[in-house]
Order: sequence, then structure tokens, then C-alpha cells
Amino acid sequence: MSDQIDFLWHQLPNLLWGFPNRRPGGLLLSILLSAGAIVAGLVVASGLAFALHSRFGVIRLLASRLMWVIRGIPLIVLLVLLFQFLGTGALFGMQFSSFWSAAVTLTLYAAVYQADIVGAGIAAVPQQLRDDARLLGASGFVVARSVTLPYCLRTMRPALTTQAITIFKDSSVVVVLGVADLTTNARIALGGDVTNAPYWVGTYMLVGLLYWIIAFGLARAVERGSRHTNALIGSAHV
Amino acid sequence: MPDWLTSELAGEIGRGVAVTVVLTLLTAAASFVVGLAAAIGRRSRQSWARRVAGTFVEVFRNVPALILVIFFAFAVPNLFPLEMRRTIFFQNWIVDLLGEITTLPLPYYGVAAAIALTANTGAHLAEVLRAGLDAVPPARVDAARSLGATARSAYFTVTIPDGVRIAFPGLINRLVHNLKNTALVGFVAVPDAFQEIQGAITETFEARELLIFAALVYLFLATVLEFGLRRVEAALWRGRPIDRTIDV
Repeated sequence: MSDQIDFLWHQLPNLLWGFPNRRPGGLLLSILLSAGAIVAGLVVASGLAFALHSRFGVIRLLASRLMWVIRGIPLIVLLVLLFQFLGTGALFGMQFSSFWSAAVTLTLYAAVYQADIVGAGIAAVPQQLRDDARLLGASGFVVARSVTLPYCLRTMRPALTTQAITIFKDSSVVVVLGVADLTTNARIALGGDVTNAPYWVGTYMLVGLLYWIIAFGLARAVERGSRHTNALIGSAHV
Repeated sequence: MPDWLTSELAGEIGRGVAVTVVLTLLTAAASFVVGLAAAIGRRSRQSWARRVAGTFVEVFRNVPALILVIFFAFAVPNLFPLEMRRTIFFQNWIVDLLGEITTLPLPYYGVAAAIALTANTGAHLAEVLRAGLDAVPPARVDAARSLGATARSAYFTVTIPDGVRIAFPGLINRLVHNLKNTALVGFVAVPDAFQEIQGAITETFEARELLIFAALVYLFLATVLEFGLRRVEAALWRGRPIDRTIDV
């Protein structure tokens, strides 16, 4: 038992922030990678949401087809497929490292799910609220900044967080490209060595626990926050 | 037909697709049962049932499916001494029976991966189904009760069927996600579609063509599954006097 704890204690820093004298890895990289994909994904998703409501039929069709295709492909297939094109420089003439290829893929994957949330969030802002603000003398920009955007963000927050948690958990799949995230580092820590076999259960329980803490913690934080938000939105309807 | 695509290779990929389909259907059915049980547990009046179901849902929903798959398939057998592992996990009647029924190579890893996917999807479905059960209008249950139904029979004939109907759109989304999650079982040496296609790549080096083909296979399967489940949903609502948006 004590050798189990010894092994895990010894490997914990490698799982949390990566192996010494290497670039950041482990849980830290999992968080950075998914956070980056979520933020960049939101920008792409906003573009997709506007495209879905475009005046031009072609743009609407293109956006919805793109979302349909990416949603129908498992992330693991998408990661390997895009790396095949991005990593070799066949696209845009640039050679992406496995990390950047994974980042691009995760961003795209996040965006196609976020697009619907963003679209619904914009549609949920009551026209009345915007008209009232205009009547009180606010300019179009001020209305967008201090009425539409905050209201939109508040209504989208629960759905976006659920999506963010999903992206964080799904980021474990980047292990196929060998990106040094938490899952990959656990595999490296255990290695191909048979003598490490007794540590498999403990190590994967620890890895599961680390993912769990972040995912469950985020979910709880939002649950608490949304109660507050609902009260705010409720009062806005008066 | 490209000349690198031998009939042998096509056969391997075909068997891989069959494994994916079988795995998808098995885990979908199992996780519906598990999810419904957990949803009922979370709404139970018994505090122990709420606690057990709640723990199950929060544990298996918040750990990545990939970690669960690796844990059940590769880590758990290490708990047993080497001599016992073979009889417990690899050479027993369950594994043999599954192989016979499906006529597919489904070793222990396949069963373990199926358990992992079922736990993960079941935990997600529990939340979807719980929301559905919660959304059944109390007036419908009251109506059944006033016609003489017991609390138990009203639960089984009104709350559960209507709750499942209401939850069905969310259920479809999750089951399509589950289909995509089956692509993870290649990690633990289960010969599914993606694993076989990756094997074909190492043989032929035709990575781009085969990966695009893999994407098309999953896109096709996801589309068929979604279409089929929408038909099921329509059948569930057929002949019911109340509109889909039950607002009694």
C-alpha cells in the first residue's frame, strides 16, 4: 500500500504540471488547452451563429452543413484527420505541431456546439428591453454593450458552462496525438514497463479524480451562480 | 476502387464497423436502463436511493469517457494475480457467449469498454430522464389517481412513459454522442471501425483516404441512428390525444 502512495506521490507533479525540464503538461495543459479552445471557440461560434441567421441562403446552408459534419464525427477521428492535413502542411502551407493541431481541432469542435447556444442567447434578449433602453436615450452601441451583451451572457452562462465542462473532459482524447496533457502524462508515467502494472488502478483513479475535481467544481460553481442570475433576470422582467 | 483496397482489408474494416454497430446498440440499450433507474433513484423518497443514484451520476458524468474505458479495460485486471486474470477476464462463458451471439471478436476489453461507456452514458441519461420525469404535469398524475389508479401504477403508467417522451430529444443527442464515444474503444485493443481503419492505414499508408472514409462511416452511422431514434420518438407520441408540449 505504501509503495502505491509513494508512486502516486512521486508522479503527482508530473500529472499536475508536467515532467521537469519540459514544457508545461499534465492537468495544467489540459486546462490551458480546453480554456483556449472554449474562448477561441466562442469567437468562431459567434461567427457561425450570425452565418446561421444570414440573409443569404448559401451562407446559412454552408454553416449548417459544416456544423452537421463536425457533429457527426467522433473527436478522436477528427483529431487524427485534421492532423493529417494540418501537421503535414498540406493546408495553408503551414506545418502545425501536434499541440496546435489539437488546439485548432478542439476549437472547431467546441464552436459547432457553442453556435447553437450563442444563437439562442441572442434570440432570448427581449426586443422590449432594447427598445426601452433606446427610448431612455441610449445609443445603439450603448444598448449593445450594456443591455444586449450582459443579458445574452447571463442567459447563455449555464449552457456554455455545461459545454465547457464537456470540452474539458473531451480534451483527454488529444492523447492520440501525443500532446502531453493529463491523460498522456499518466500513460507516460506508467510506461510500457510490466513492473508498473500494480500502479495502473491507483494512477487512473487519481487521474479520474483530478478531472472530476475540475468538472464537478465548475458545475457546482455555476449552479450556485445561476441561482443568483435567475433572480437578476427575474427582476429585469418586472 | 483503389488498388490498395484488397478484399481482405475491406473485410476487416467491415467487421470493425459491425463491432461499432453492436457496441453502440448494446450500450445504448443498457445505458437507457441504467439511466432510467438512476433517474428514478434520484427522485426517490428514500434518502439512501437518492444518495446512491446521486453518487453514481456525479462520479460517472464528471470523469472523461476515455479514462473510464482505460480504467475498466486495462487497469482493473491488474488488481488480480496473473494466474487468475486469464480465467476471470479472458476465458469464461460470458466472453464465449458474447462471441457466439455476435459472431464478433469481443474479448474482455470489449466487455469492459462497454461497461465504461454504459456507466458514462447512463449517468448523462439519468440527468436527461430526471428532467423529463420532473416535467410531467402533476395534473396528469392527479387525473390517473382520481380514476382509481394507485400511486405506484400511476407512476409506472403515467409518470415514466410521459417523462421518457418529454426527455426523448435530449436522449437522442446523448445516444448519438455515445455512438461517437465508441470510437474510443480502439485505445484498449477492441477491433472497432476506427481501430480497423487505423490498422489499414499502417498496412497501406493511405492515411488521408482512409481517415476521410472513417469520418464518412461515423457521419453515416450518426445520421442513421438519429433518423431511427426520431422515428421511435414519433411512434411514442402517435395516437396520443395530447400535443407534444404537454400543458394540461
